[in-house]
Amino acid sequence: MKQRTLWSAALVVGLTLTAGCGSASGPGSSTGSSDKLVVWDWKSGDAEAAAYVEKAKADFAKKHPGVTVEFVAQPFDQYYTLLGAAIQAGKGPDVVLFNGGGQIRDRAAALTPIDTYVGDDRQRLAGWDAFTKDGKTYAAPVTLQGHPVYYNKDLYGKAGLDPDAPPKTWDDFVRNCGVIAAKTGAKCLAQGNKEGFGIQFFLSAMGSSVLTPQEYDDWIAGKRDWASADVKRIFELWKQTGDSGLNTDGANSTAMFNDAFALFNSGKAAHVIGLMSDVGHWKDFAEFLTPEKLGVMRAPVVTTAAKPSLPFDGGIGYAVAKWTKDPKLAADLVRSLTSADALKAFYADGGAIASDATIDVSSGGPAVKTIVAEVEAGKPALHVALSSKTLDLMGRLSQQLLSGSATVDDAVAQLAASDKTG
Amino acid sequence: MAAPTLSPARPAPAGPARPRRSGSRAERLAPLALVAPAVLIIAGLRLWPLVLGVNFSFTGDGDRDGVMVGLDNYATLFADPLFRTALRNVGLLVLLLPVAVAIPGLLATLIYLRVPGHRLYRGVYFFPAVLSPVIVGAIFTLLLAFDGPLNGFLGGLGLGPVDWLGDPDVAFFVVVAVHVWATFGMALVVFLAGFATLDQSLLDAAKTDGASFPQTVRHVIVPSLTRTIQFVFVTTMIGMLTSMFGLLYVMTSGGPEGSTYLPEYYIWIQQGRLNQPALASAASTALFLIMLVVGLAQIAILRRAAGKED
Repeated sequence: MKQRTLWSAALVVGLTLTAGCGSASGPGSSTGSSDKLVVWDWKSGDAEAAAYVEKAKADFAKKHPGVTVEFVAQPFDQYYTLLGAAIQAGKGPDVVLFNGGGQIRDRAAALTPIDTYVGDDRQRLAGWDAFTKDGKTYAAPVTLQGHPVYYNKDLYGKAGLDPDAPPKTWDDFVRNCGVIAAKTGAKCLAQGNKEGFGIQFFLSAMGSSVLTPQEYDDWIAGKRDWASADVKRIFELWKQTGDSGLNTDGANSTAMFNDAFALFNSGKAAHVIGLMSDVGHWKDFAEFLTPEKLGVMRAPVVTTAAKPSLPFDGGIGYAVAKWTKDPKLAADLVRSLTSADALKAFYADGGAIASDATIDVSSGGPAVKTIVAEVEAGKPALHVALSSKTLDLMGRLSQQLLSGSATVDDAVAQLAASDKTG
Repeated sequence: MAAPTLSPARPAPAGPARPRRSGSRAERLAPLALVAPAVLIIAGLRLWPLVLGVNFSFTGDGDRDGVMVGLDNYATLFADPLFRTALRNVGLLVLLLPVAVAIPGLLATLIYLRVPGHRLYRGVYFFPAVLSPVIVGAIFTLLLAFDGPLNGFLGGLGLGPVDWLGDPDVAFFVVVAVHVWATFGMALVVFLAGFATLDQSLLDAAKTDGASFPQTVRHVIVPSLTRTIQFVFVTTMIGMLTSMFGLLYVMTSGGPEGSTYLPEYYIWIQQGRLNQPALASAASTALFLIMLVVGLAQIAILRRAAGKED
């Protein structure tokens, strides 16, 4: 009896202790040894990315036949939470997929600069800036992400406007919208600002048609004058889209992904500030708007000194974690993941605008051709230069601007303060 | 808690007699060994992480990662209007609690009093409780969209559309209402279980004396169900404070204008999206303290009410 009591107690203790160990982080998340590399992303599980992953793996296997590569696809909505836990623990995947801009810059301390390894890809790929912090590159771009203004040529035609001559100035843009609304009942701009993304798209799309080129470059370089008349002008325009009914109804409760895009897709709005890759882009719209009905226009000019350009950055890119055993090996995997063949597969299946400008896109229709042609003269998007904290604040302030509970001066002052503290 | 304690006629079960303090050493150690798993689980998997978390909340984020910063995170936290909104919303939840308890209570009463179709209602009312908050949130996001069916219906009646999830004065109440809709089935079942212990003769007596329905509820049903009502109060409060995340995430993303933030959502945003785990730890510690205070207050109220009843 005594014996049995002790044994069962010991058993319970043993089970408890082993139950506590282990699987919180899931399989494949431990630091790889030098003959195995673990990749974290949110893409490799998609059917659209299958060929891409296959090509990249094949390319890497040619260079390092003995090394196995394991892709762990994480759910995107928890991706940075899981990654944060891995960073706290100081161990995790060797190669990590990142969004460009704030998401990677905020976590640069956990990554290895890869400048010395990717020198040969510099010229071939575009979009490096989004993965650069303090002059060091932390990831190689896979796709380009940016904010072209798409318009529905069909609605333009129905309203008696020339579908191939989109408005060049803001005043023409507003006037056209008035005509379209009167003739077809469609709104001007499909807007989704539930998560505060609407203002990010708007700021970046309209920025180059309001700010002077000098102001624009200063903004990207970190010298942001929030109190300047031109910056305020952008937020005044944003407020105007709400106040004068240019936006689709209920913008603050409409999700950008994908309700706002659906409004554009179904012809309820004539324009949308969309994306170049992933979702909400030319290939997504093609489901309902055939290529000849979909147009891409430059942002309408607001101030005479402005020179509109396509805002774009590196969209997603692969980085090398600081704790990986062999950074050179991991960087080689990054190079395979951005090899021309792999990126071509990603463009063809996923419809992403790949970072490799040498890929032939002529079969994609006029909209994608216009976008790719604009890439060369394009500039980094304004919102990508801001920290996640400032973007979060900007989202809430933009909702207040639409609902009228904040003034432009107030919003700009708060953003300036947030931007200063980082 | 909902156990029938109203029948004093039933004798309390006699506890086993205390064993004499004797026997071998192994026998004296056996109780310790038996308690050990529970103690180890609590200490190792609950208290120790809690201490680590609290300790972590005194360190910095970003450039100051790992550096002790004293109370800086807490100062940041209480200066952040967003966190204050989250706390205000917790206060609102406490104020809305009686409504959230009254709805299942009233419906359970009607079912107990056998309104026509009560069997159907019993099943229908419970149905939403088996749905995941994400599904519920997605359904109501569609229903309550600006161009959704509810506004279409209101428009048909000649009433202006309401931006249910886009108006900062309305959105939080809408989300709470959906949460109550989704979860009241569970409380309803607890109430029905409580009714099973109700003394039918009291109801018959009330009927004989000619008591109206409100009088019956007030003087017979509510006093007899004190324990059940208290239990539902506590579980509903816990449910509101800890399981609204899914709904908030799907329906409003904390918006509009940050008006539907709750502390747990704030913690998640700070940790996952803004990469400030130490600040998130401070918010977690603050939430823990709030829950502790609310919990202790509830226990105190329960004790007092129970004392009055017995």
